[in-house]
Amino acid sequence: MAIFIIRRLLWSVVLLVFVTFLTFLIFVVLPSADPALLRAGRNPTPEIIASIRKTLGLDQPWYVQYFKYLRNLVLHFDFGYSYQNFLSVKETIFPRMPATISLALGGAVVWLLIGIPVGILSAVKRGTFIERFAMGAALVGISAPVYWLGLVSIYLFSTDIGKFPIFDATGNYANPWDDFGRWLSSLILPWIVLAVSFAAIYARFMRSNLIEVLDEDYIRTARAKGLVERRVILRHGVRSAITPIVTIFGLDLGILLGGAILTETVFNIPGIGRTAFDAIQKSDLPVVQGTVLIGATAIVLFNLIVDVLYGFIDPRVRY
Amino acid sequence: MTRLTRARLAPALLIAVAGLAAGCGSSSSEKSSSKGGTNPGGAEIGKGKQGGDVTYLAAADVDFLDPGQTYYTFGFMVRDATNRSLYGFKPGEEGPSPDLAASDPQISPDKKTITIKMKPGVKFSAPVNRAATSKDVKYAIERAFTANVPNGYASSYFAEIQGAPAKPISIKKLKPFSGLQTPDDQTLIIKLTKPVAPRVAAALVLPISVPVPESYAKKFDAQTPSTYDQHVVFTGPYQVKHDASGKVTGRRPGKLIEIERNPNWDKSTDYRPAFLDSIRIEEGNDDQTVATRRTISGQSLMCCDSGQPPIPILKRALTRYKDQLGRVASGGTRWIAMNMTIKPFDNLNVRKAIVAGFNRSALRLTRGGAAVGPIAQGYIPPGIPGYDESGGTKGFGDTLDFMKNPEGDAALAKKYMLAAKKQGVPVSSDGKYAGKGGILTIATNADPGLSTAQVGQQEFSKLGFKLNFRKVPQDTLYTKFCGIPKAKVAVCPNVGWFKDFVDPESMLEPTFDGKAIKPAGNVNWSQLDDPKINAAMAKAALIEQGDARNKAWAEINKQIVAQAPGIPYSWDDSFQLESKDVNGIMNGNFTTWDLSFSSLK
Repeated sequence: MAIFIIRRLLWSVVLLVFVTFLTFLIFVVLPSADPALLRAGRNPTPEIIASIRKTLGLDQPWYVQYFKYLRNLVLHFDFGYSYQNFLSVKETIFPRMPATISLALGGAVVWLLIGIPVGILSAVKRGTFIERFAMGAALVGISAPVYWLGLVSIYLFSTDIGKFPIFDATGNYANPWDDFGRWLSSLILPWIVLAVSFAAIYARFMRSNLIEVLDEDYIRTARAKGLVERRVILRHGVRSAITPIVTIFGLDLGILLGGAILTETVFNIPGIGRTAFDAIQKSDLPVVQGTVLIGATAIVLFNLIVDVLYGFIDPRVRY
Repeated sequence: MTRLTRARLAPALLIAVAGLAAGCGSSSSEKSSSKGGTNPGGAEIGKGKQGGDVTYLAAADVDFLDPGQTYYTFGFMVRDATNRSLYGFKPGEEGPSPDLAASDPQISPDKKTITIKMKPGVKFSAPVNRAATSKDVKYAIERAFTANVPNGYASSYFAEIQGAPAKPISIKKLKPFSGLQTPDDQTLIIKLTKPVAPRVAAALVLPISVPVPESYAKKFDAQTPSTYDQHVVFTGPYQVKHDASGKVTGRRPGKLIEIERNPNWDKSTDYRPAFLDSIRIEEGNDDQTVATRRTISGQSLMCCDSGQPPIPILKRALTRYKDQLGRVASGGTRWIAMNMTIKPFDNLNVRKAIVAGFNRSALRLTRGGAAVGPIAQGYIPPGIPGYDESGGTKGFGDTLDFMKNPEGDAALAKKYMLAAKKQGVPVSSDGKYAGKGGILTIATNADPGLSTAQVGQQEFSKLGFKLNFRKVPQDTLYTKFCGIPKAKVAVCPNVGWFKDFVDPESMLEPTFDGKAIKPAGNVNWSQLDDPKINAAMAKAALIEQGDARNKAWAEINKQIVAQAPGIPYSWDDSFQLESKDVNGIMNGNFTTWDLSFSSLK
């Protein structure tokens, strides 16, 4: 197991370097805005443009810029400085992680609490009204875009402009250690909105997996042995059916920890996703790089965790 | 020495063109806002309730707190409340007032020397805690010429100061400018290499003249780029929260700016009433509809950092929430630029035909229609000297027939197209362009600019022009395409220029002087390079502010319009919203709320 983890970690480093290179390449190749010109104001002299280009290091060939970026990252854990305001990328991104983590983990809890039981119920109650209703609702949940659902929920339930003012929806986020009540009330609606589509997907996935598993011979054997149906379903059926869900859960959580761009933007949650959104709009490569790296790290890490978890969930998997 | 009156001083203002929003039509007033703006609910300038806290909802962040680097409207708004420049603008007044200065600047008869007397006792915030002197202003100007403090306008407006480097240098190589003299703590003498004192004096309203204490700032300025932005000290009625060492703690980029009273501020030295106790700027409110609705229905809120609320909200606000809507002339013109170096736009008759046939009223609808301001008739907008002399909202329609009908005149357009045909332009007998190949057009990919471009495309097609239509983000549009002559973009449908100074020169020189064409960051989008117009501009630039100057620039405006380099279509105002309990005051200088004059009811 230890060798497996070490090998995976080493590969992860290679993968992250590749991701930074790819981001850099996309920025250089695609016609994004010129950061020096953006920074120079609207009617700059050629001298000021040249000066800013030099200050930002943009006067050097792209591979030199990339090498310097990589060197600073590896040797000093320095993510560089924003092209827009010259602030440290590390100081810009890291304080935003609690917001993103809060949103992602909270959302994940909500969608698991909804998605898994609904999926199980739909599989067990196959062909009934309950299944049809649950799967119909899931289809609606999958079809509703997060930004639309977010805006609708704000107009319906936010305390300032909602028809039924229940939740503090936008711009109210506070870190839990500063104001726990505000943190909680500002995240309830985003959690629900974020969880809707995931819950729907997980419910459908869980249902189809479980239906498949429940047709397996060992389930029939379990029933033949006289086990109660609840035990058959939960102990033997769900345990097997949930394995693929663990895989996608790890990936989904990793992606969200890299920033739930739409949810964070709609609800004005100062997380990594919103930072990425702003940075992309301003062609602020160092910040884009930073957010991409955080996102990629989260995905790689959660993939690793999932692979390790497999060993515990599925006895057939051994490292 | 002659005394430069306040009215003659030209205010400076920068507006991020990209930040201005818009929408669809209305049919009310054709008039632009009054020069001083309209404050909601008839709020009286200088009167208000002392105390209270306001939250300002913004989408973006300020560019910089460092007065040597800030360059955009939002940054100017925060700077004006927290740091004082030599001259400033009271809301509702057209001319600047001495702020840090004790009186108007004195200009020598040869227009090469400016003498400024400063008020004593204007103190810096902690940890500096001493009075600002002329040496601090001298250092502030000098540092703006260094690569460590990249300043977007120092080399444009202050290049003639004796001893100023021609291009940005390292702060390590910075030597005191011989043209900045400080005989005592309250006197600053500016010596110039050319007789441009009126312009330089006018530019002292810019944040470059905010004092910076060298002994405190030099360790931050030694960094490349300077980190003074994170350690700014303040002279205004407010300060951004900071710790005892001066490190700014109240700014979390993209999230929040916490502004509180500056305990070192002495009200007797300032014209700002500074009613509010604190201002909390909440950033990240990207969805303007949500932000404006929150403002209208909420308490103690002001909104937003873009030029206009979304049009449905604006339309409702113009009728139902008038008392919560502030309005001020934006001092800018929007137009569709045609590149005169690219065929067939190198032909005057083709350009005249296009302008004549264009439904400019339809273009304006995409920006909000009549309710937000008049159709542009030229390139000097309302509120800028030379506007009345250019015929105001009527423009030059009496003498330039192709500008007469803003709804478009198909017959006249045909006439000009057929005239172009005689000059060898491929035009069919029914007056339609018959040239081959698409015409490269780069438009913004988001509304309202995208709608404007699409209407423009439709109008061009009426005369047979097939646009090769490409959509890119607004910043990319300027920095990679329309602002780069080498990119050879034929049509830029989303350009606009907003006042740097309340002076016609700042409207016409950057955008239509042939000498202003640059390889990058070019804003003479049409690449108009007419020797006669260039010479007229050079001559008019030396005329002192007043009627003669206004007439001279109005005549240049007419010459430019006669060349039909673009299709001007909108002189829209800037609008801002507030909650019912807020007594907001608009400032025509930075075209948004003035935090130092606004109060709670």
